[in-house]
Amino acid sequence: MNVLFIHDAFPAQFGRLGLELTRRNGWRCSFLVQSLSSCPTPSPEMLETLEVHRLPMAAEHRLSDGVPWPQIYGHFLEQCRTVHDALLAKPSLRPDLIVAHGGRGAPTLFLPEVVDCPIIIYCEYYFANSHRDISYRIDLPPAEPARFFPRCINAPTLATLVDCNAGYSATLWQKLSFPRRFQGKIEVHFDGIETELYHPGPAARQAGATAIPAGTRVVTFVSRGLESIRGFDLFMKVAQRIARARSDVIFVVAGGEEIHYGWDKLHTGSPSFKQWVLSQDSYDLTRFVFLGRVLPKQLADLLRISDLHIYLTAPFVLSWSVLDAMASGCVVLAADVPPVREVIEPGLNGLLEPLFDVERLTETALLVLDDPAEFAPLGLTARRTIEEKYCLDTCIPPLSDFFERVATRDAAR
Amino acid sequence: MAQDPLHVLWVEPNFPGRLGAVADWLVRRRGYRSWFYCHTADPRASWPQSVGSGLDVQIFGVGGVARESAVSWSRTLERSLCYSYGCWEVLEQRRPRPIDLIVGRSADLGSALFTPVYWPAAPVVNFLDYFYHAHRHDLAAEAPPETAPAYFHWRRSMVAINLLDLEQATLGWTPTHWQRDLFPAEYHDRFMVLHDGIDTRRFARSSWHASRCGPRLIAGRVIPDETRVVSFVARSLDRLRGFERFLTVANALLRARSDVLCVVVGDPIVRRGLDVDFHNRDYPAHLLARQSPADPDRLWFLGPVAPGVVAEVLAASDLHMAPSRPYPVARSVLEAMSAGCVVLASLTEPHREVVAPGQTGLLVDCQDPGTLARQALAVLADPAEYRPLGDAASALVRQHYAQDVCLPRLADKFTALAATNGEGP
Repeated sequence: MNVLFIHDAFPAQFGRLGLELTRRNGWRCSFLVQSLSSCPTPSPEMLETLEVHRLPMAAEHRLSDGVPWPQIYGHFLEQCRTVHDALLAKPSLRPDLIVAHGGRGAPTLFLPEVVDCPIIIYCEYYFANSHRDISYRIDLPPAEPARFFPRCINAPTLATLVDCNAGYSATLWQKLSFPRRFQGKIEVHFDGIETELYHPGPAARQAGATAIPAGTRVVTFVSRGLESIRGFDLFMKVAQRIARARSDVIFVVAGGEEIHYGWDKLHTGSPSFKQWVLSQDSYDLTRFVFLGRVLPKQLADLLRISDLHIYLTAPFVLSWSVLDAMASGCVVLAADVPPVREVIEPGLNGLLEPLFDVERLTETALLVLDDPAEFAPLGLTARRTIEEKYCLDTCIPPLSDFFERVATRDAAR
Repeated sequence: MAQDPLHVLWVEPNFPGRLGAVADWLVRRRGYRSWFYCHTADPRASWPQSVGSGLDVQIFGVGGVARESAVSWSRTLERSLCYSYGCWEVLEQRRPRPIDLIVGRSADLGSALFTPVYWPAAPVVNFLDYFYHAHRHDLAAEAPPETAPAYFHWRRSMVAINLLDLEQATLGWTPTHWQRDLFPAEYHDRFMVLHDGIDTRRFARSSWHASRCGPRLIAGRVIPDETRVVSFVARSLDRLRGFERFLTVANALLRARSDVLCVVVGDPIVRRGLDVDFHNRDYPAHLLARQSPADPDRLWFLGPVAPGVVAEVLAASDLHMAPSRPYPVARSVLEAMSAGCVVLASLTEPHREVVAPGQTGLLVDCQDPGTLARQALAVLADPAEYRPLGDAASALVRQHYAQDVCLPRLADKFTALAATNGEGP
């Protein structure tokens, strides 16, 4: 089968998947992307095996960050036109199936004008008017667009969802974020964690340039961007209390200062939520290592030396990092919110506490740090959870079946 | 707790637009208190009588791209959001309250999307007219091969405000099943299909249709009994409503019969953006420059006229023609039927829903002007033979599409909805 993947970046969500489908099924996998990622970069094997076509995207259309919210649908339409024109210019691609991703709508709206194959949408998320995602942190100062943005941000998603043949979400909670009327069109297929990369075991006790002495407890926090939706501010409060209680703990934070979701710049008036958080209290920064964004190999090494991984997301798309941490055998202390509950059963493969209860989170964290060995079974079970439900070998076959089913079923229509 | 009578916020880009007559009826006949928020308003002469007596009209401004005279296809939702934001701003300033129900109509422009930001507790009913399909319906099916891709991009992109409105709405509302079925199947159960009603008093079965007794008056001129009046009524004299088809047939009728008078009502300027070739142009002038009327004295263009004049024309009509492309049934078709006209319309799905061919009107394939002209001549040759169609049409409208039939049902629905406090129908 000939599958065309469409995504902003490569390898991102689909690179490894394409490689696996080529290896396992002998499929031809092509990619139409705006850019090659710098973190992580595509592996040589990916570049040799997969056809990657770059979109001739105008600079102003490359990123949606910075587009004023009323113009996001227009930005999406321009992306749709670019993808349409690119496919028109490449008749040799002739896909049997298109699989497209778009955090704010996959740019497939005009593709029925140029191809007649089925289209599958990666249904990442449907924003709510309130009570989850970017509308959840009402504890932060109000941001004016927050009242309007959620009422129009789903327009690209809806437009493509109506037209596509099928969709899939990585988790059940993500699928259930969509209006009920579309849920019958969406299957749940997780993409697959690279368990050969993320696994328990010894690793150098090093965090960036900082050597970590034996006997020092390592608490990790990982997020693509250090922002409120992922609870970076709450983590810092917990870390502050842990640091006061124990002198043998170091906090290693991986993540960039970019803000990907929500209104942190407006909440705080600062371009960096991290800097704003740090300015709110007198943190002993000698106890923290901020790595910035890290490559997968660095992340895997870091997670292997973690005594406690803290994950304090608001109800939003589950981060891969929490599953990477579980695959690495970490003891995970996470926010007790529905998307996390889907993967973590408290007391069995991790620990859950209320998101805003800093005292309770601190108490639980200190229990783990007091006696890591007692909690180690949680990490082992977490690893087993990933092996059984979320690793590539478990996830790729049903996902591949799904692609084949849709391609066969809808090609005949 | 909903109050009886209800306090309703109506939002539509223009007043009275489509919802104005409904709001007026509910104020006059059910005692509603209504605020009508709009960006523009027609001249006061066309406002319904309850304005100032239970129906308050409030204008809101728009900013950004909505102030531009032409908006590119990729910015149509942005324009809608400007309307919605403009409406919200004035709501915040004027603070009408309490509100039991919000009824909105975007009409492709947007407006009501942010009303729940101001008043989250009220259920929202969105009146939806049309859902674009890239290559089907209206003029799309006839788009020539050289049509610019942007035309189809635009059509595909236009779904956004409708989808957002539907997602926000407690209930979608559309006048006909054909219109409901244009929307994605996932939304069909979210719709109430109910016509917003014809004013059957204004468009009552005329004495001419009842007994072929005069006098007949059109725009102050007396029409002799022996004259056969052929009528065409549309908001705009455009291709969507098949004006060029009508003109071709009208010329054939004028040539074939010396007693025919063709009366055309509607704005000569094409107002709908759907016809990208003639949008904002004088389409009749374009046609007449290429095709002179067989007898200009017997082809009257009345322009956009008051409803009272439309009623006069329909009351005097011996044959009402509606050779429209597939598009929501023109209000004038139902008004003509209400008035007892013999209606000759295009054989399309939307017309099939309201006209039973051979019983309440005539439907023919309008792509062939010969067929249309032959059927028209047959009616004009023997009006008495076709009179039962007009009588049955009038009865049908009184029974199913009259304001006094449709709007009490609407009021019941609104009362039930308001009692749910926005928790769904």
